[in-house]
Amino acid sequence: MKLRRSMLFLPGAKAGMLSTAFVYKPDCVMFDLEDAVSLREKDSARLMVFHILRSHVYQGIETVVRINPLNTPHGLKDLEAAVRAGADVIRLPKTDSASDIQELDAQVERIERECGRVIGSTKLLAAIESASGVINAVSIATASKRMIGIALAGFDYVIDMQSQRGDKAEPELFYARCAVLHAARAAGIDAFDVVYSDVNDDAGFLKEVELIRHLGFNGKSLIHPRQIDLLHNAYAPTVKEVSYARRVIEAAEKAEREGVGVIALDGKMIDAPIVCHAQRVLQRAEASGVRR
Amino acid sequence: MRIITEAVAGTLESSDLLVKVSPSREKTLEIHVTSDVMKQFGTQIRRVVDDTLQGLAVTDGLIVIEDKGALDYAIRARVQAAVLRGAASKELNWEQLS
Amino acid sequence: MPAELEFYTVDAGELSQEREQIERLLRESDLGWDSRVGTFVVCREGAQLIACAGLDRDVVKCVAISPAFRGSSLSLQLGSELLKVAMERGHFHLFLFTKPENAVFFRGWGFYPLVEVQDRVTLMENSPIAIRKYCKDLQALRQPGGKIGCIVMNANPLTLGHRYLAEIAAGACDWLHVFIVREEASMFSYAERYELASQGLSNIRNITVHHGSEYIISRATFPSYFLKGKCAVDECFTAVDLLLFREYIAPALDITHRYVGTEPICQVTNKYNQDMKLWLEAANSRSPSIEVVEVPRTTWRGGPISASEVRRLLQDKSLGKIEELVPESTMNLLISRFGDKQKSEMTHGVEH
Repeated sequence: MKLRRSMLFLPGAKAGMLSTAFVYKPDCVMFDLEDAVSLREKDSARLMVFHILRSHVYQGIETVVRINPLNTPHGLKDLEAAVRAGADVIRLPKTDSASDIQELDAQVERIERECGRVIGSTKLLAAIESASGVINAVSIATASKRMIGIALAGFDYVIDMQSQRGDKAEPELFYARCAVLHAARAAGIDAFDVVYSDVNDDAGFLKEVELIRHLGFNGKSLIHPRQIDLLHNAYAPTVKEVSYARRVIEAAEKAEREGVGVIALDGKMIDAPIVCHAQRVLQRAEASGVRR
Repeated sequence: MRIITEAVAGTLESSDLLVKVSPSREKTLEIHVTSDVMKQFGTQIRRVVDDTLQGLAVTDGLIVIEDKGALDYAIRARVQAAVLRGAASKELNWEQLS
Repeated sequence: MPAELEFYTVDAGELSQEREQIERLLRESDLGWDSRVGTFVVCREGAQLIACAGLDRDVVKCVAISPAFRGSSLSLQLGSELLKVAMERGHFHLFLFTKPENAVFFRGWGFYPLVEVQDRVTLMENSPIAIRKYCKDLQALRQPGGKIGCIVMNANPLTLGHRYLAEIAAGACDWLHVFIVREEASMFSYAERYELASQGLSNIRNITVHHGSEYIISRATFPSYFLKGKCAVDECFTAVDLLLFREYIAPALDITHRYVGTEPICQVTNKYNQDMKLWLEAANSRSPSIEVVEVPRTTWRGGPISASEVRRLLQDKSLGKIEELVPESTMNLLISRFGDKQKSEMTHGVEH
């Protein structure tokens, strides 16, 4: 199970950030060729991302590339660069329907064949940024075997909804968040929450993280390295959660050793999803420790 | 690749480099690098630049680079971007860029 | 990560609310408004303009950064933006003037010092090698000899006065190098002026007529030359132009003597001639001094022959009176360009 709590956005044209962000150890790093790059710099940024992917700077961190939409002059070139350079995941912005993903899947497969990359090794992440996208979330999430996640992008979504982002726990995202989550769970993939843009408001950020963690989001898109530790700490399980998780795993292992079909703990039956959850808890604990 | 027009890529910011290319009247390849870390990394920078130009089959032109402490990946990217912007043909062959 | 910083470009003619803020920024940096700036690159944080940089074609001017943001990465972003805008507009070779103590700052923008007028001004260009390459090209045109002369002329158009000066200089030297000012700021185009000079001076054996350049009396390096009568002569600019000549151009061609005609009419040119003696001969420099030779202008009917006089006569449509002032090659061009109405005057013109 790949941990994807933090997805750090890096503008594809900024050498300073690209060269140094790995020290902050996010779970995933997302090289942005779309909104963070001006039109006149698209070509140069594409090459920056191509070459940094091919270098060893981000070895050990999952690499995501946000390409431009495929119906722009840049999208397909971005995709060629990203797949050939070995990006782990392609993030497609403004995904409105399953056919967007299917089209992307076909192009990715073509490029994999042409450059000799293992077919299926390039994964996909759909970003939902509109009402249509939210409504089609389930079909989008199940549109391809390559899908590993579905993300809500708040800024454009809110504009599409003719609403606006408020300061605090926002009702305008409520339905979209739930829809994206349900789609992710139905498809068995990860769900990612929106960017929190006020980098100086730790309290507000943590409040939002608490909400989305509670809802079940696997992770969140981040725009500043200092948000990484805050997020990881918030996602760290409590001592109580960890000790319970250990007991669940022990019980499962015991049942397997004894060849018993049913796992029991404290007089209750433990089934597979609970064991899975316990594994995730321990994984998070290992990644960033526990919190009180 | 032939450089037929002046072009520039990159920035002056830390960890980046500014690459300017222009056609050479004498049909020679001339490369100038200035960097605050010339002593420590001059040879390395120059090697990456040469390698990148060779990959694109650039045999003549004037290349002037202002380095601000860029890593190899950035040197490759900016040199390629500048050459492509200044080149006659914009055809991208991904093998040449690798 | 800084708050939202936005860079954008504004043409000087379209400035509205930015103008006041730019003026404030300039004041904070002890700079004045320069009406010749055609384009500004500005940086905005929210409603506030916090930095600006201007372009007067290929000259960078009016660079100011709000004190709170100095020393941050902002200045390098501003420089990068400015370079991109300049190059988009076709200006790849850029110059700037700055106080010597600020040269270090602009070094970070990829500018390299050319000449410094001590404690007053430094001229910089955005290349570590441009001037060197230029001098190397000049060196290929060196001629042997211990006494090598030089004249820089606008030749607008070439007159018998110019020819006279060149003949005197060539007669006294082993070789004479003549440079024609390259700017398109004159009645006659550069192509015409160069052609007229080549033809009109072809009778001289030991002469090379060179193309002018940005380094020899150009808008970039000597702007006041092109604003005759419109603004006070700034002696810093003449110093810069002359030091460029002394430290780069003269050594490349082994020039030992600079020849000029005495200047009775044009104030700017006269001041320039006087400054020549100061900067080429007297001033301290790591380059050898160059002797300035002022040759009295040749005359026609008691008056000095000058190009400005020829132009005045042209404007008065007195083509006939010009014949005695210019060589045949120049006359032919004038007739072909201006002559139809005055041709009849010419055929009768023997009695002039």
